[in-house]
Amino acid sequence: MAESPTATQERLRVVGRRLPRHDARDKVLARTLYAADWQMPGMLEGAVLRSSYPAARITRIDTSRAAAYPGVAAVLTARDVPHNILWTDVPGQTSIVGPLRARVQVLADDRVRYQGEAIALVAAETREIAARALELIDVAYEVRPGVFTTEEALRPEAPRVHEESNLLATWRVRCGDADEALARAHVVVEQTYRCGLIDHAYLEPEAGVAWIDADGVVVVRASTQVIEHFRDVADVLGLPHNKVRVIGPYVGGGFGGKEDVTVEVFLGLLAYRTGRPVRMVWSRQESLLARPKRHPFTLRYRTGAARDGTLVAHRIELTADAGAYAYLSALVLLYATVTAAGPYRVPHVAVDARAVYTNNPPTSAMRGFGAMQMVLGYESQIDQIARRLGLDPVEVRRRNALGRGDRLPVGQELDTHVAVAEAAERAWAALGPPRPPSSPRHRVGRGLACNLQPYGRLVWLRDWASAWVGLEADGSVAVRTGVPDVGGGQASSLCQIAAEALGVEPDRVTVHIADSALTPLAGTTTATRQLYMSGNAVLVAATHLRDEVRRVAAQILETPVEQVTLADGAAVAASHRSVPLGDVVKECARLGVPRSHLGVYHAPAGDPVDLERGGGRVFPDYTFGAHAVEVEVDVDTGAASVRRLVACHDVGRAINPQSVEGQVQGGAVMGLGYGLMEEIVVDRGVNLTTSFASYLIPSALDVPDVEPILIESGDGKGPFAARGIGEPPIGPPAAAIANAIEDAVGVRITDLPITPEKIARALGLLSGG
Amino acid sequence: MPAAPFDYEAPATLAEALDLLGERGPEARPLAGGQSLVPLLTLRLARPRLVVDLDRLHELRAVRRTPDALEIGALVRHRALERGEGPLALCPLLQEAAALIGNTRVRTLGTLGGSVAHADPAAELPAVLRALDGAVVLRSTRGERVVGAGDFFVGMLTTALAPDELLTAVRLPLPSPGAGFAVEEFSRRAGDFAVVAAVAVVELDGGAVARARVALAGVGPVPARLDRLEAALLGERSGPDAIRRAVADRPLGIEPDGDIHASAEYRRHLAAVLTTRALERAAEAARGAVV
Repeated sequence: MAESPTATQERLRVVGRRLPRHDARDKVLARTLYAADWQMPGMLEGAVLRSSYPAARITRIDTSRAAAYPGVAAVLTARDVPHNILWTDVPGQTSIVGPLRARVQVLADDRVRYQGEAIALVAAETREIAARALELIDVAYEVRPGVFTTEEALRPEAPRVHEESNLLATWRVRCGDADEALARAHVVVEQTYRCGLIDHAYLEPEAGVAWIDADGVVVVRASTQVIEHFRDVADVLGLPHNKVRVIGPYVGGGFGGKEDVTVEVFLGLLAYRTGRPVRMVWSRQESLLARPKRHPFTLRYRTGAARDGTLVAHRIELTADAGAYAYLSALVLLYATVTAAGPYRVPHVAVDARAVYTNNPPTSAMRGFGAMQMVLGYESQIDQIARRLGLDPVEVRRRNALGRGDRLPVGQELDTHVAVAEAAERAWAALGPPRPPSSPRHRVGRGLACNLQPYGRLVWLRDWASAWVGLEADGSVAVRTGVPDVGGGQASSLCQIAAEALGVEPDRVTVHIADSALTPLAGTTTATRQLYMSGNAVLVAATHLRDEVRRVAAQILETPVEQVTLADGAAVAASHRSVPLGDVVKECARLGVPRSHLGVYHAPAGDPVDLERGGGRVFPDYTFGAHAVEVEVDVDTGAASVRRLVACHDVGRAINPQSVEGQVQGGAVMGLGYGLMEEIVVDRGVNLTTSFASYLIPSALDVPDVEPILIESGDGKGPFAARGIGEPPIGPPAAAIANAIEDAVGVRITDLPITPEKIARALGLLSGG
Repeated sequence: MPAAPFDYEAPATLAEALDLLGERGPEARPLAGGQSLVPLLTLRLARPRLVVDLDRLHELRAVRRTPDALEIGALVRHRALERGEGPLALCPLLQEAAALIGNTRVRTLGTLGGSVAHADPAAELPAVLRALDGAVVLRSTRGERVVGAGDFFVGMLTTALAPDELLTAVRLPLPSPGAGFAVEEFSRRAGDFAVVAAVAVVELDGGAVARARVALAGVGPVPARLDRLEAALLGERSGPDAIRRAVADRPLGIEPDGDIHASAEYRRHLAAVLTTRALERAAEAARGAVV
């Protein structure tokens, strides 16, 4: 197990600087070639036929009219797919359900399990012809009874979504004796919360182009968070893994929605069948209809506290709607289970969690991955305990906050700095003196919410990342690593890290990313792991290279190696004599000293943990934070608007504070939308929200300027002690808003999104149902 | 997905445009600012064979003042209404209503005629037209007719326009100089169509209501006038208490449907709140105007 490498140079020159990202200018000038922008000679356009029904048997598919339509190059159904299964393995599932090998059919064979499930593929000369061909495919359905709520799905007589039980996964935690502790608690708060089905709503819908290259390799250039899906494409096509290559261009937003396979396998099938380049671009409606979304949860909490506000117990029951296919549901549920007690010391905790198949849209990864849904539960609970006991909301959190050395209910000891109390205090203090409401018909309230979010993958996945760093003869630097850049500044941060280690300006570093054939694999841009993992890999490689270069420079400068530093593109001796880096590289070449290095970083690894027995380490580490909001409520309409949002997180160290603040602001805005307006509405399996006119995401006018506060504790497991910040900021806003609304108008909203109508109803403004 | 293929014509004169609609009206759709039609095209909810682009018809951008009304060309953009350009300043109600439409980009392109002809039940301008007892001028090769707002809006996204007719202008009677007005709107998200919007115009005689008009958007297939409430307010004092009582004392006579953004019950509640607020503000403005 490798410890996090750290730079030995005493003063940081590049890390910590607010730098404009190297990719920003091209994006603003529309020069970036996103997945859909790629053009090739003879390129066909691909399209997907999708199920009209959420639960049906397909009795017949007739593609003959579509195949005969002029300009159609291929029509594929399930029987044309060599291996019609995508697998999701969930190692270490310790429950009555057992280890999970979850299946997703590439194209529906004889059953469809959700509205929008893919049934057939078309490749045609134009999009127009492809669209026409889809209309010419004749599918006969026999509509079957479906299950559309988790309650329905768990009834013994319920129709089964798959052959096996509708209960997809369960996890349990037992720490102490929650029931006994609740019986003795001074105050017990019991409440059920619900959070809704959420879409990623990225700017860039799913898209890509595939072709067969001159060596017979199937190349897929697609918008993805995971270039390792080359293996899935190969498995479906029945090709060796080394005959498929995935190239990841800059991604216009992923948020977990491009973690599972999207267009890659469809494109591979169509290109392989036609031998021609094929492009596929999903429409917004298609994206909203058919992509896996964030799990809705029902969270039932019983929480007990002592008279002074000290938490003594949680009994928590979680039910997640997994939709029609497993995808990553079992893992999402695990994240929820591990974090359900929040960033607090709670001696007695019992968690029972389950994920259930329904005929709703499938659910899988989305920013926060199960952990973010829990914040509404534990932060609403602690707020109500404070209110019940007449305690200050900051004080009750400070009293219970986790610290270094404390253990989570699953037994993991926290071995880095834990900034929960500090974040809560700083965010709350930043709100400043109260401001008056904007009219006599408005009330103002404030709310606070803390959270924890893992960064890095489960330790028993034995995560690793690799990166190649090389010096050119002119002293410029090349970094090669298989990192998909999803817009969070992933590539740009690596640039800063390499520049720091090698003593050059960032504009002397070029980062080549995300090509499964040409860049060393670095793993997925998911799970708040990419800066942590690939950043460490780049630092390993660059630090190794730096030491080689310093050794050669010491000979040139005729000085002890310990006295050589790399700075400003040169090797510098203590005497201030220096030699340009390029000259040192040329000397390395002459001496046969390697001018490149492949760095590999292995995250802390471990065996699967039995959560129920409290086994130990589950994740490498966690990021902690707190948000404070000021909300104004219109007491006649119930409308709530957020006037202030202060978001504070311990990021260990900010590699590029500007990028980190961008992540915090973007995450907080997404969390605000989740809290107040976003909801995929599904009526008996039929999605009613397949456009941005009906699926409401906040506009710039609906959010205040998010005020980020970065705590740099100097403690974390990433490069230069950084902690991951991709997911954490989405967690707190919804709960902070719910807490602020109770502060403003005295009603507790427990269902997301917190619509004006729900507030109006809670205020008694509406007569009945 | 781009729009389904269609023919495109951009006539240089109104006469040419009317000829085109006369020949191919049932399969044609006129394009003004494109803020309603273009989304319908790209969503393929509208698949016209011919799009007639009106952008070159400068004659439809004119605003004329008659002794007691404004005649506003159909192609006058929301942004001009919002700014109160030229004679439009005579009807500040238009400024307040137009400022609530979409966002700056929508208002820069969208047109008065386009909004009225599209007849979205939640749109602001049809409600303004209804509140001010306005009318629309419809032209075709067969001639011209003027239709009152009450008869023009027929149903959800449906109007009295015949397939060969073009809406060329909107006529708005100017409120008396002492009239007060207000628009109150509730939407789920900034810049969206209203869930419910209320337009109120109040004229006073002494301290009492001489005439009150209220139109609502978002509570049915067409903009609604609240005749019974208007009648009940006649002769009442104009203070907030009297208005609140008048609104609370009787059903508004609306039958909204529920949808994913608001239940029918919540829309009825919003209608009452926004009607009250709009009337209060309009009455206050009228009192200020008299002083």
